[in-house]
Amino acid sequence: MNKEILKQELKAHLVSYLNILEYKPEEIADDMPLFGTGLELDSIDSLELIVMLEREYGLKITNPADGRKILVNIESMADFIIANKK
Amino acid sequence: MFIKDILSISPQDTYNNHNYWYNVKTYIGNKLSCIEPSYDGIIKPSQLRRMGKALRMGIGCGLPLLDKHGKVDGIIIGTSEGGLEDCIKFLNQIVDYDEGTLTPTNFMQSTPNALSGHLALITGNTNYNITHVNKGLSFENALIDAQMLLQDGSANVLLVGSVEEISDYNYNIEQSANQYKKVECRSNELIHSNTEGTVCGEGAVMFVLSSQPENGSICIKDVDAITFPEESELLDLCKNMLRRNGIVTNDIDGVIVGLNGDIRTDHWYTNFISSLFSDQTIYTYKNLVGEYPTSASFAVKLAHDILKNNMICPEIIFKNSNRAQKNILIYNHFKGVQHSLILISDINSSNESL
Repeated sequence: MNKEILKQELKAHLVSYLNILEYKPEEIADDMPLFGTGLELDSIDSLELIVMLEREYGLKITNPADGRKILVNIESMADFIIANKK
Repeated sequence: MFIKDILSISPQDTYNNHNYWYNVKTYIGNKLSCIEPSYDGIIKPSQLRRMGKALRMGIGCGLPLLDKHGKVDGIIIGTSEGGLEDCIKFLNQIVDYDEGTLTPTNFMQSTPNALSGHLALITGNTNYNITHVNKGLSFENALIDAQMLLQDGSANVLLVGSVEEISDYNYNIEQSANQYKKVECRSNELIHSNTEGTVCGEGAVMFVLSSQPENGSICIKDVDAITFPEESELLDLCKNMLRRNGIVTNDIDGVIVGLNGDIRTDHWYTNFISSLFSDQTIYTYKNLVGEYPTSASFAVKLAHDILKNNMICPEIIFKNSNRAQKNILIYNHFKGVQHSLILISDINSSNESL
């Protein structure tokens, strides 16, 4: 799996699933924080992202503590997908 | 109860435009969609991106009024469908994803009471908060609720309104049920189209209602409704309403009727007019905004604009009597089943106190 292509795909899913109005996919940096600063997402968005990972990549995040490490930025989400996608 | 302020989003350019009747928009086809404003500075982008059309139109009208008039004693919304598009998206997801993990957004943003809840949460209002969901009488029941609260002194100022959106899903279902026209119709020819079916509309109207009059405020004097009436029962309902308000049919100067161009049900209006109000000015409004379950809220706005702003445009005149307008009666029905009457007066024209 090509990581660069995956990251572009993830950015497109992020904008589409969350209906983000302020950013286009190409404007989201790989290391831009998803929560707190950066995209300033909230807890409802985190649920949307978990559903997106399950629907698009067949991956489930069952442990909330894992979610905090995975849903940091595009880079960390891509790493999680590459490590776990069969 | 007295109208302190109004804000509306409709298929006409009504948002922040008090002169919309100078430039009435004509539509071709079965859908009269709202002219939405920019919500910049009204709704935060982080909230706006989750909202469906009904919700953002309702917030777009309600929030500026709450900001302007301060804390109200209650928020009362009437809506038949709520955020229908998001609701059906959610239901489809249940099927599409085999009852697997679902996103919460479509569900929580689409319930009928999402609007009143959002308005309360955003403004920190913990007072009375309710949503009436009664199909074609949703807005009227919201008005009756407000009237009771204001009359018994439980509230002094209320935000009352309605919202409805056109959903593709619902439109298709109603189209299959022959609710809408099968031939293309221009909205300015709707009332005299003489065919079966009507056109689909949508809109949000919010009112700040007060128990006390202000200089120039218009009064909603009475609201009444009836379901599955005989024609004689409807006429009796009207006569009784006028009687308890101390007036007779000749005191009514104008009647706003919900004529929607559907020959199957417009006889209710024409018979009502010919039976009781043959000498009055008759207005229509569904040629401006289309048919939807809470369209009576736009009729109330129209009555207010006629009485307060002398808004008379040729598009809304069905029959002109040249009478000065002081008392306006709104008669509307939804699909010939749910019928309502709303009496609106300009109390300033006679220094009457209510």
